[in-house]
Amino acid sequence: MNQEDWLDRELREAAPYIDDEGFTARVLQQLPPLRRRHDLLRAVILLGMAFLASVLAYVVSGGGRFVSVTLERLAALPALWVFGLALASGLVIAAAGATAAISRSRASLT
Amino acid sequence: MELTDADLVARVLVDDDQHAFGELVRRHQSSVRGLLRQLTRTDIALADDLAQQAFLRAYKNIRSFRGEARFSTWLYRIAYNCFREDARRRKELVGIDEEQLQTQHDPQAADPGLRHDLMRALNLLPLNERSAILLCCRSGLSHDEAARVLDIPLGTVKTNVLRGREKLKRMLADWGPNQVKQI
Repeated sequence: MNQEDWLDRELREAAPYIDDEGFTARVLQQLPPLRRRHDLLRAVILLGMAFLASVLAYVVSGGGRFVSVTLERLAALPALWVFGLALASGLVIAAAGATAAISRSRASLT
Repeated sequence: MELTDADLVARVLVDDDQHAFGELVRRHQSSVRGLLRQLTRTDIALADDLAQQAFLRAYKNIRSFRGEARFSTWLYRIAYNCFREDARRRKELVGIDEEQLQTQHDPQAADPGLRHDLMRALNLLPLNERSAILLCCRSGLSHDEAARVLDIPLGTVKTNVLRGREKLKRMLADWGPNQVKQI
C-alpha cells in the first residue's frame, strides 16, 4: 500500500459514526408548520370554487328546478328505499375514510 | 423495502411529511455533523448548532433540490455554506500558514496515537485544503461533487486536494504504511 492510499484509508477510518443522541428530534421540533398554511389556502380555494360552481349550476338549471324535481321523486320513494340509500351512502363514505386513514398511517410509519 | 433519499424527498415535497424528513436527518446526521466538526476544528457544540441550522435550511429550501446531484451532496453544500457564513461572522476564514504549520507540529506530542495526529494535522491545514480533503478523501465525494459543494472550479479542488495531501504526508511522515501497522 502506498502512502496516498494509506492516508485516504486513515482519513475514512478516522470518521466514526456519530450517534444521533436526540439530534434528529431537536431538528424536527424546530421545523416550521408549512403544511397547515398550504392546507388552509387549499381549503379556501376549493370552497371558493365549489361556491362558484354551485351558483353557476343554479343559474344554468333555471333556478334549480331540478333540485325540487329530484326532491319530489325522493319523497315519493318508499321509506325502506330511502333508508337503504342512506345506509349505502354512509358505508361508502366510511370505507373511503378508513382506507385513507390506513394508507396515511402506513406512510408515516415507513 | 427501504425508501431511497429521492423517495423521502418526494414525500416531503408532496405531503410535507415531516417523518420522511426525520428519516433523512437520521440518515445523514452523522456525516454532516462529522464534516462540520472537522471544519470547526472539533468544536462539537458549534458544529452541532451549524448542523441543526443546515438541516432546517434544507427543509425550508427542499423545493430547490432538483435531484441533479445526490441528496447528501446538496446537504453538504448547505452545511458548508452555514459554516462559511458563521466563519465570516467570526472572521476565522484565514487559514494557518506554513510557518505556523511547522511550529505547531510536534511529533513528540503527548498523545502518540495516529488518529490524534491525523486530526491535529487536518486542523492545521488552511480551510480550502481542509475542506477539499474532508469532502474528497473522508466523505468520499468525487472532485466534481466537491467542486459543487465548495462552489469553486474543479481544477481548484484538485489542486487543494493535492496540496493538502502533500502537507498531511509531510506532517505524518513518522507514521505511514511502512512505519506502523496499528493505531
